[in-house]
Amino acid sequence: MESPTFLGYPRARGAAGVRNHLLVLSVAGLTGPSARRVARALPGARLVTMPFGGGLLGDDYAQHLRALAGFACNPNVGAVLLIGSDPPKVDKLTETIRAHGTPVAAICLDDCEHDALTLSDRAIRAGARLLRAMSRQRREPVALSQLFVGLECGRSDPSSGMVANPLIGKVTDLMVARGASAVFGETLEWLGAEHLLARRAATPAVREALVQAVLRREQLAARQGVDLLGNNPGPTNIAAGLSTIEEKSLGAIAKSGSSAIMGVLQYAQAPPAPGLYAMDASAYSPESLSGFVAAGAQLLLFSTGVGNSYVSALAPTIKLSANPAAANRLGEQLDFDASAVFRGAASLDDAARDLLATVIDIASGTLTWGEILDEGDEVVSRLGEAL
Amino acid sequence: MSTPATGRPAAGGDAPASVAGDALVLHPRDNVATALRALEVDQSVFLLGVAAVGATVLREPIALCHKFALRDIAAGEPIIKYGESIGRATRAIRAGEHVHVHNLVSARGR
Repeated sequence: MESPTFLGYPRARGAAGVRNHLLVLSVAGLTGPSARRVARALPGARLVTMPFGGGLLGDDYAQHLRALAGFACNPNVGAVLLIGSDPPKVDKLTETIRAHGTPVAAICLDDCEHDALTLSDRAIRAGARLLRAMSRQRREPVALSQLFVGLECGRSDPSSGMVANPLIGKVTDLMVARGASAVFGETLEWLGAEHLLARRAATPAVREALVQAVLRREQLAARQGVDLLGNNPGPTNIAAGLSTIEEKSLGAIAKSGSSAIMGVLQYAQAPPAPGLYAMDASAYSPESLSGFVAAGAQLLLFSTGVGNSYVSALAPTIKLSANPAAANRLGEQLDFDASAVFRGAASLDDAARDLLATVIDIASGTLTWGEILDEGDEVVSRLGEAL
Repeated sequence: MSTPATGRPAAGGDAPASVAGDALVLHPRDNVATALRALEVDQSVFLLGVAAVGATVLREPIALCHKFALRDIAAGEPIIKYGESIGRATRAIRAGEHVHVHNLVSARGR
């Protein structure tokens, strides 16, 4: 079989981008509104604002910094316009981004007489220069092995676990076999299926990490007296026919296919080598997707049962459903219709071949519905209280 | 190259084509099946999948993607789907009855 390629943007370091975004990144809450004004003035720019930033502690602060650097160094980002209030944090991040080889301009409120309008003026001018330079970049054929794909499901129904997730699993296996990388998260949705994941762990340490991560989430719910019913599965899942977390998990883990699990990543942590990884993270899609994107994923495969419009701002998010009613209803949301498999009119293998072709098409520049309709955002998990 | 059977949703929303079966059994150990379309009470459903269980008569209507029992299940017995336990029956469930949150409870997170 010939080695498949996609048309990507080669980067100074690391994998190629499937997009070439100018990222307007506000590193803390204080400059969020200004960054919004700046991004509005720079058509095509992607805005990510961190609503928090001051007084963060320990692991929470480490995760916050990891996510900021991760977004800035994602291969889909062609240049970064950093906006912040305090020079030390902005300077350190600027250094990290520069070392990665991504063009960056940084504007700090402290250097703008503490005036949001002065900051906006300087940032818009700097952003315009970055956009101009970025527009010279061209797509080139790139090996599929450079892809790193995040795997997600949201507003699932039983068709997700029976068809859409196994389909994602098959495509994941095809990509991993060709040297690409993939990550799945949503730790709580391993509950009741962790013994199946554990069997696929590459080492005993990975097996232990998988099991401990899910037990920790289970204890978190039990200690707080939270009944998972109504929470996960949520009301939409239950109405659609999912009855317990075990049922949802057994369907959810099918996204990961059958490849060996090489490691358990922290939230927003980049994988150390190619292959399939698990990420210990919240099961809530906005947080989960951002964890993958900050870890370096350029593309996301997102299954839904009844429909889910949410996508990442930085990584094209391929939406698919196998629910025939949803497929009929959501023509401008679903990028891939897997309902033929549910209806028995197509095999999973044929659908996997078609979905892989869609992955390559979207990686090469075809827009997703989520990109066209601008449904994207980035939301970073918090771990604790700030000072 | 033939037209792909799957791919982009058709514009306009054609009605789904005929279903090859009424419900799907995912694993030989399963004691529930999943409805592939809305099913009616007293209907004798044609089961697809790995289990050679033939037809089951439904005791109540089953919505798309919801589950029903393939055989009588005792209170406390595990409900099996994908060949794995998805929780326990909270009361006796007869073959053909709807299996959901009213008679099935998770064994986890408590």
